[in-house]
Amino acid sequence: MTDQAAGNARDRSPGSVVPRWAIGVSDGLWAGGCREVVYVPDNPLSHILAALGRDHPAVRATLATREEEAVGIAAGLHLGGARPALLMQSSGVGNALNAVGSLLVAYQIPVVMVISMRGDPGEWNWAQVPMGRAVVPVLDALGVQHLSIERGDESRDIVLALANLAFGTRVPVACLLPRRLTVPVEGGRA
Amino acid sequence: MNRSDAIALLSRAFTDEPVVVSLGHPAYELFAAGDRPLNFYTWGSMGLTSSIALGLALARPERRVVALDGDGSLLMNLGSLATIAACSSPKLLVFVLDNGQYGTTGGQQTATARGADLEAAARAMGVARTATVRDPAGLEAVLDASRTNPGPWVIVVKVKESAPTAKPPLDCVYIKQRFMAALG
Repeated sequence: MTDQAAGNARDRSPGSVVPRWAIGVSDGLWAGGCREVVYVPDNPLSHILAALGRDHPAVRATLATREEEAVGIAAGLHLGGARPALLMQSSGVGNALNAVGSLLVAYQIPVVMVISMRGDPGEWNWAQVPMGRAVVPVLDALGVQHLSIERGDESRDIVLALANLAFGTRVPVACLLPRRLTVPVEGGRA
Repeated sequence: MNRSDAIALLSRAFTDEPVVVSLGHPAYELFAAGDRPLNFYTWGSMGLTSSIALGLALARPERRVVALDGDGSLLMNLGSLATIAACSSPKLLVFVLDNGQYGTTGGQQTATARGADLEAAARAMGVARTATVRDPAGLEAVLDASRTNPGPWVIVVKVKESAPTAKPPLDCVYIKQRFMAALG
């Protein structure tokens, strides 16, 4: 499914506040030239979609059924000249790995992967912990450079720096969103 | 109809269109039928041929975009049919070369050999135009129909396994760079 990102803004309740970190990610993607976003939804990522829809409605958001499929769509978007971003949860990294290796890395196809973390400090669901802990070692094993956003006021610059690396040198990159950034520590269960 | 015959026919039909082809035997036979920069040969990422073609169709809506997939490959990524239906790119054509087996890995049966119907799956997901063809005349007829009826199209081509005689270049970056240069 493809809609202008504006449509996704309606997915969140009216008057809900878009957090600063999400506005920064959205602005960083825009500044990095991303006009195409492929996503498999999760709760923190919905804030980024809302920010894109509000501030950068020209960005097209395409929903995939699975993260591996999303990698394929993003690769095709790049073959057609676009600078794609992928939004996925850390659990979806596991679903996407072979495609990241044998398509993005092998063919030097640049994509900015924005990964909302599960299984890191703040997690409450044990089932999310093993894959969450594996994300960084697996990205390292694939040679995918990654940065983690620790504060809302640095998110735009981190995403833009990663986008410049991706599209300047034709590599996939990853931006990690830790739970302590995306979920309130007090009572954080999302 | 052998798969190599079907691929040769499709290779002749699509002279100006970008073609994304599934790894293994389909890629080998497309190369043997006629190498060209607008062929995007995959060497991994089994299952993603139709997704790559969809992304390309979204980025370049003015172009007809062709995917040559296999039954075993598409069975790995059936969700792609739902996304293709939802995105409804009118110029996307997905051909599923259905030989009922994993030809590249030794001929193990796929689910289509036991009744799974990929055209019906595409239709159930809401893909605008679908067909199943079994011979060159049927394939020519559906090619004609695809020129006048907007898609997306999912066309299952029932084929017999054949033995590839050549392999495309192994350099993935070369494949991509010349593809993008040719696409313009």
